[in-house]
Parts: sequence; structure tokens; C-alpha cells
Amino acid sequence: MIFRFVAAVAMIVLSAACGSKETVVKIAVAVPLTGDMGTEGQGLRRAVELAVEEANAAKRFPYKLVAAPYDDRADPKEAVNVANLIISDPRVVAVVGHYNSGCAIPAAKVYARAPVAMVSPAATNPEVTAQQNSKDWSGPRMVFRVVPTDDVQGSYAAMFAYKKLGKRRMTLLHDKSPYGQGLGEQFKKAFIELGGKIVSEDGISVGDKDFKALLTKIKGDSSKPEGIYFGGLYTEAGLLLKQMRELGLNDPFAFISGDGAKTSGIFDVAGDAAGGAYLSIVGIPVEELPSAATFIDNYKKRWTGSGEELKPFDHFGYEAAQVIFAAMERAGGPDRARVIEELKKTKYTGVLGTTTFDGKGDTLNKIVTMTRATAKDRSFPSVK
Amino acid sequence: MLIQQVVNGLTLGAIYSLIALGYTLVYGILTMINFAHSEVLMLGAFMALGLAALLPAVFGTGLIGLAGMFILSMAGAGVINVIIERFAYRPLRNISRLAPLISAIGVSIILQNGVFLWISTQSLRFPEPVAIGSVEVLGATISTLQVIILASALILMGLLHFFVEHSKLGKAMRACSDDIDTAGLMGINPDYIIALTFFVGGALGGAAGVLYGMNYGSIKYNLGFLPGAKAFTAAVLGGIGNIRGAVLGGFILGFLEVFASGYIPNGAQWRDVIAFTVLIIVLLVRPSGLLGEKIAEKV
Repeated sequence: MIFRFVAAVAMIVLSAACGSKETVVKIAVAVPLTGDMGTEGQGLRRAVELAVEEANAAKRFPYKLVAAPYDDRADPKEAVNVANLIISDPRVVAVVGHYNSGCAIPAAKVYARAPVAMVSPAATNPEVTAQQNSKDWSGPRMVFRVVPTDDVQGSYAAMFAYKKLGKRRMTLLHDKSPYGQGLGEQFKKAFIELGGKIVSEDGISVGDKDFKALLTKIKGDSSKPEGIYFGGLYTEAGLLLKQMRELGLNDPFAFISGDGAKTSGIFDVAGDAAGGAYLSIVGIPVEELPSAATFIDNYKKRWTGSGEELKPFDHFGYEAAQVIFAAMERAGGPDRARVIEELKKTKYTGVLGTTTFDGKGDTLNKIVTMTRATAKDRSFPSVK
Repeated sequence: MLIQQVVNGLTLGAIYSLIALGYTLVYGILTMINFAHSEVLMLGAFMALGLAALLPAVFGTGLIGLAGMFILSMAGAGVINVIIERFAYRPLRNISRLAPLISAIGVSIILQNGVFLWISTQSLRFPEPVAIGSVEVLGATISTLQVIILASALILMGLLHFFVEHSKLGKAMRACSDDIDTAGLMGINPDYIIALTFFVGGALGGAAGVLYGMNYGSIKYNLGFLPGAKAFTAAVLGGIGNIRGAVLGGFILGFLEVFASGYIPNGAQWRDVIAFTVLIIVLLVRPSGLLGEKIAEKV
């Protein structure tokens, strides 16, 4: 009985080995592919697939590279499930992901057990990499990110509000997620240091639709706030904007938020009401990056369907894949541990400029740009 | 600011009330909780979105187009609710009380995932059927949208009241609610009346879906869940099975939420906790809800 079982297994393994002529090595893309954040995640998947196809076409590796997408649905629980799936597949050599900080933080703990390198193209909460220095961290240091963190973004927004817009009294709202609250706290810290005042602070719930009562309170606040800083994602940002305008909170009453809200989805939620919102992004808008011109061209050639236009984090996803490829080349083979070691020594010049990592695994290439939503053509020109 | 918050509370309460009516009507007749009601609400909103693209060619824009969109979405949602009743609840009606409940949860999952897989996983923009302006009343900014929502909800509640209290079919509905077997002996066809009740409840849910889409400007496959849960709470608060109770409960819940986030420091994060704490207290004092009768909670 046992012998028969062993024989069957051996045959399956043999036939599998004979069936595939070339070795397959996978780069996992763990992002939300469905749900509210699905558009952004799908963009990242396309960007990584493009990078993989280019690497295969150029025969950079003696094996076949495959981008393996995994859907974490922007849900931390699902992210852990997905991470467990990923580490159990020995062909996966590194992970591009996750999109949300809330997902990246718990998933990184799973990857540390393997260990397999995780390079996040979008999770901006400082904790994503900082958790590796905590005492209960169980693996080696293997978290990297090509995107600057919230402390850079939140404090830039505070400086922008105080110096550029001349705001002295702001209201802080956040969605209680690691991303939103982190962004909000960084804004608050920097704004108070500059001499501004946070007149009120409220948390909202992701999934809530009705913020009228809260906005009415802000409108009637006797300390007269001059604007809202919101830490959160585009659905809630869009609803806030729409309901703000309905209550008559228009310019110069400012609405400032971060990169999680800067996506064309905000125009689907808020329509024209989204116009005028200040949204910071990490890096320089990809359209204004000279080093990204070839990438944008190739992307547009490869992905032509409707809804397949370039999304805000796609160039980070592409860069994350490139950084991993470079490490794989230096490692001399698809070995998880050696790739982690090589990633630490990264000095890669590509779409984003030159990427090097600090001791925590955060990129040293930290630029933040403020953009302003324009409803007419659904664009986000940068504010000079 | 107070007036503004009152208007906010009225709009939110009107939507909750309309949805709560759907739960309460069905419960009144079958003592069954139609958990698929939140999905009927969602489908109503999606039908309105489809109609908004088609209708301007037929009715033109403006109030006539809006009314057309309303009536057709309501009819569609009503028919869907009748179909759900016919195939998912009626065969199980006399088996046990739990079977239709589980069936309802199943229908809810099927409908939600159907929309998720076939229509869209993303938020879709819900068009504004009429131009939205705003009026200043005593320092409060009231959008015409809020006026439309409140007015159409009140009209529908008035029609429902008239239908249940003063029409022959309404009388038959009340008779079935009192005692479905005896009503059958008196020449009323219970299957027909139950289907009618599902139609009316579904139509009100569909209307609420349209209002919901208009109010928040975007719709998504899972939009029914949260307002459905809240409205169910409102129906229980008012006394489930009681029509006036559902309306009262809806408005109380709407006001509780608005005042919790408007007047309590940091209340926005606590508003659900506050609203549900009040619910528990009310139920401790009056287990059958504010207007519910002591023994049998019926229409």
C-alpha cells in the first residue's frame, strides 16, 4: 500500500519534471485584485507582468520567470492566508507586495518565517519595516520598500498647508487604519511643530457612507478650522468631499489627503466635488519623470484594454520587480536567502532614479509632491 | 448647526425607515426575517443606475425622468423580491422556522456575489438625475437632494399607510398578519397576499436603494449590508412587525447616529456603539420594541 503510494507520487513528480522543459521561477504579486482597492492592485499586477515579460524576452535568466498574482482583497486576514500560500510554493523566490500597510504588516511576519524577501511598492506606514527591529521579530531582516514612508508624506503635507496655503487651524480625520492614522499622526506632529493648531480630531470607519453629521460639526466649530487633513483611502475621501461640498464647504476651505486618495476612483465616488482636493504623492508624478518615459511607453503598448491605464503605483511595482531581478542576477540563482542578502546591497538606477535601502529596508530616495485634483479631465497636476 | 443636523438626521432616518418597512412587512405576515432584503435594496440601486443610462432617451431628464427611474426600479425590486419568495421561501414555509432564514442568507450571498462577479467589483458612479442645488435656511445648507429624499420617503410611507389601512388588499394583508389560516378560510388566498407583501416590501427597498445611490453618489455590490443591518435594527427598535414602529425606529436611529457624531467629542468613531447601546437599553425595558405588542408582534 505504502509502496504503491510512493510509486504514484514518484510518477507524478517524474511526469511533472518531464512535462516542463524549462525551470519556472515565480515572483509573487500579493495585492488586492478585487474590491475597492482592486483597480490599484490590478495596475501593480500589470506592471510586474510587464517587467517579467521584458526580463524573459531579454533572456536575463537561464530559467523562465513568471509573475504569480495573489489577491489579498485589501484585507489583513486574507493577506496572511495569501502569504502562507506563497511561502509554501518553493518556486516563489520573492514577493512584490502588499499594497495596504494593514496587509503588509501581518504578511511580512509570515514571509519572515520562510524567509522570503518582500518588496512593497505601496505600503507607506513606517511600521512595515520598523517592526523588524522589535524583539519578537522571528526571522531575518527581509522587508524592503521602494516607496517613501508616511512620515515623509505627512510632514510634507503639514508644511504645504502651513507655508503654501497659509493655514493655521486644521481639522484632522483618519480612517483608523495603520495607513490613515499613521499619516494623520505625522501630519499632526509636523503641523504643531510649525506652529499650527489641530482644532479637532476624529476617526471614521472604512465602509461608512454618511459623514454629514461630522462635517456639519466641523463647519459649525467655533474655532473655525480652515481645512481638513484626511488620512485614508479614496472611497471615504470621495464621500467626504462630496458631502463637504453639499454642506457648502468650498474653497478656500482646503481638503488635503495622501496618496491613498490620489486615484481616478475618487472622481467616480465624488464626481465634480473631488475638484480642488490637495493630494500628496510619494515621488514625482510618473508623467513628469524623464526616467519613466520608456516604462510608460511600453506599458501603454502592452496594456491597451479599458481600465488598463496606468495606475498611481504602477511604476513603483515595476521598480520593485526590477530591484528583485537585479538582486537575483547578483545572487546567481533563484535562492530565497541569497536574494535577501543581495537586496540589502541594492543600488539600482531605474524608473524612480537611484534606489538604495537604509538599515530598515526603506528607500533613501524620498521625494514627495503635492498634486491638485482637477475634475474636468480627471487629472492630478502637481502644485508648483 | 442644529437645523443642519436635524436635516441630516431626517434624511438618514428616512432611508433607514424605508428599508425597515421591508423587514417589518415580511415579518408581520410570516414572522420571518428576510435577510435578502439588503440585497434587494442593492439591486434596486443597480437597476436605477442602468435605467439612468437608458431613460433620458424615453422620459428626458428632470423630475419626470427621476419619477420614471424610481417607479421602474421599485417595480423591478418588487418583482425580484416576489421571485425570491416563490423559489427560496415558499417551498420551505411550513417545514421549520429556521429553514427559510438560512435560505434567505443563501439568497443574500448569491445575489451579492452575482453582482460582484458579473457587474462590477468596484464603486460605480451614480448619476445625479436632476441638477442638485442647495438652499440656505436659517444658516443651514440644505441640498435639494435631501429635500427629494425626504419628500419621496414621506410620500411612499403615506401611500403605504393608505394602502394597508384603507384598501381591500391592505385589509387582506392585515387579516393574514393576524391569522393566516383563518384568513385562508375566509376566502383570502394567502399565497397571493404573501407575494403581494413581498412585492410591496421589495419596492420600498428598491426605492431606498435609489435614494441611497443618489445620496452617496456611488454604488457597490456590498452597499446593502450596512444599511440593511441598521434598518433591521431600526425595525426591531420600533417593534418588528409594526409599520409605524419601523418608521419611528428608522428616524430614531438616524437621529441617534447624527447626534452622536455631531455633538459628542470624538463621536464619529463611537456612533455605532452609542446607537446600539441605546438599542440594547430600549430592548431591556421593552423587549418587543417601542411600539411592539407584548405577545404576538403583528402588523
